[in-house]
Amino acid sequence: MGKAKIKLDKNLLERVKKYARLAGYSSAEEFISHCLEKEIAKLEESDSEEEIKKKLKGLGYIS
Amino acid sequence: MNSIKRREFLRWGIATSSLLALGGTTPLLTKVAGKAETRTKILVFGFDGLDPRLLQMWMEAGKLPAFKRLVSQGGFRPLRTSVPPQSPVAWSNFITGTDPGGHGIFDFMLRDPETYIPVFSGSATEEAKTTLKFGDLVLPLSGGKVRNLIKGRAFWQVLEDHDIPATVFKMPANYPPVPTKQRTLSGMGTPDIKGYYGLFNYYTAEPIKMNEDIGGGRIHQVFVDRNMVEAKLPGPTNTFKKDRPESIVDFKVFIDPVNPVAKISYQDQEFILREKEWSGWKRVRFHLVPTQSVSGICMFYLKEVRPHFKLYVTPINIDPASPALPISTPEGYALELEKKFGAYFTKGLPADTSALDHDVLDEAEFLEQDDMILGERKKMFEYEFNRFDSGLLFYYVSSTDQRQHMFWRLLDQNHPMYDPGLASKYGGTIENIYIEADRFLDRAMQRLGKDTLLLVMSDHGFNPFRRCFNLNTWLLENGYHKLRNPWRQEESSLFGNTDWSRAKAYGIGLNGLYINQKGREREGMVNPGAESDNLIREIAHQLEQVIDPKTGERAILHAFIAKDVYKGRHLDLAPDIVLGFNYGYRISWGSPLGRFSRHVFEDNTEKWSGDHMSAPEVIPGIVVTNRTIRAETPALYDLTATILDVFGIAKPEEMIGKSIF
Repeated sequence: MGKAKIKLDKNLLERVKKYARLAGYSSAEEFISHCLEKEIAKLEESDSEEEIKKKLKGLGYIS
Repeated sequence: MNSIKRREFLRWGIATSSLLALGGTTPLLTKVAGKAETRTKILVFGFDGLDPRLLQMWMEAGKLPAFKRLVSQGGFRPLRTSVPPQSPVAWSNFITGTDPGGHGIFDFMLRDPETYIPVFSGSATEEAKTTLKFGDLVLPLSGGKVRNLIKGRAFWQVLEDHDIPATVFKMPANYPPVPTKQRTLSGMGTPDIKGYYGLFNYYTAEPIKMNEDIGGGRIHQVFVDRNMVEAKLPGPTNTFKKDRPESIVDFKVFIDPVNPVAKISYQDQEFILREKEWSGWKRVRFHLVPTQSVSGICMFYLKEVRPHFKLYVTPINIDPASPALPISTPEGYALELEKKFGAYFTKGLPADTSALDHDVLDEAEFLEQDDMILGERKKMFEYEFNRFDSGLLFYYVSSTDQRQHMFWRLLDQNHPMYDPGLASKYGGTIENIYIEADRFLDRAMQRLGKDTLLLVMSDHGFNPFRRCFNLNTWLLENGYHKLRNPWRQEESSLFGNTDWSRAKAYGIGLNGLYINQKGREREGMVNPGAESDNLIREIAHQLEQVIDPKTGERAILHAFIAKDVYKGRHLDLAPDIVLGFNYGYRISWGSPLGRFSRHVFEDNTEKWSGDHMSAPEVIPGIVVTNRTIRAETPALYDLTATILDVFGIAKPEEMIGKSIF
């Protein structure tokens, strides 16, 4: 898998490093990847999928 | 302003739509189809979820005298339920006299192999295919459709062929009602006005601690400003508009500055509620375009005025006076009942279990609501029973099922949600609903003619739901499923994180497991034939060995292989494996929608605490009747054959049951 660099504000990078360490990530890169994956997943979940879930949840058997 | 009638609503493809040609407007007092004067009449009570062990126990304790009397007149047997014992599957066995291979309903949910997304198995919606776009308006030019997906024929259609009249009240899985001239009112599966299976609205001035879009409900943060609250009631999607917004009704609540009382005002409605008071049915009209609107009905409940304003609104039911979606045959039957009794619950399973589960309603408030449902059922039964002079009357009661789902935790000291304080108040709730069922029966038995066959049945029994089993997590841990990003295991749903090129199997629905098969699934990777068959047998064998580390018990008694257990023409719709859980176990809350919990097993910490996803021998239903039962181990589909046999009708070829007499 190819890699690419991105630029971050220095202050932000320091905070990223700090919280990556506190949260137990092995590197700042892993922490950033995780955060981005999480946010993108929210965006990728389409409205129709959300509708399906809401519709079915009313049955009571799932949450 | 015109209210959109069912046919127009369907044509415009709003919410869940599509048209069944069920005949035109009918006179107010509907007549049943058959004209044959039958000497024999059959009254069938369908008490959802009535359990043979509890029935036996409370009969022996002298608490169910009518049941005891009926058993002495005829017989009582546990009734073999469906595989799996889910209500839509089980009732479809009864409706069609077949098994899921014959009627095609294998679970509440089936999956689309193109998308790996679960969809409701009972009905399907197609919106209008041709539309005309005009500015920001979309005008449909062709009809939408809502179809009942049960294959095969319902037994009351067969009765109609032979001119035997039938009234079928709230038969589960009969939505939209199958085409017939018999009197039928649709049952479980009938959505609310939004096309959901229940979405309540809850308005609170308390800082919201929970997610705003919880399962089965929407939480609205509101603010009390100078003793007034302004809020919105969401309605169906407005498909007349290009961006398909949700239709909305604004309402205001004026709070009395001194007393715990409030006035609710919207459209042409204004009413006053005291704290802890229900409003009764209120009509609400959603305006879609300047000349059209959709009508629904709901109840308001003023839960608290101070210190925090709290208002609950039931899911908005389809208005029986002007049904936007098909809920009865003939079309006028729903209206006839409305004229007689006023507005009534039309949603398939009306008790709001989601509101209780999320502490929006407490136990007492939930039971108040369910008592209203039960009261409605009693009145309508009297009406139907008083004019039952020929043929068949089927009458369904949902409260037996819903109360067992929600109150098992207070009957079972081993349940993780057992609460001694609540148990002292509500521990008798399940017993009480069995006693209510007994009273129903008693009223009917007192006036039953000597030629009337009385069949009392349930679709399945019940057992505790103490431990959750996440099938998808188990598949993942055992190498049958792969994630793209394993560290995101718990974050996504609907298999959003799955690497389908490496996933061999997946779980969707409440009992189903599917192989990711080449040529069938979009990104299938297991070859059909021997490779798939061997994998199915391997996984089934392993599932039956799974031990819960907390209890040392097997979680799954049987992993049924579809090809081995079903007959009929619709095996292509079946999961490859159907899980039959052990007593006390059920699929986890997230697995049916493609979610992966951290652990395979978890305690069930929800109020929804009784369930019926077990191996069928764990939770048979019941049949009690006033004739001697000769069958030793009758099944649901045998009751269908019995009904036809009693009327002297030859069983259609596709039906697999035999008369129980």
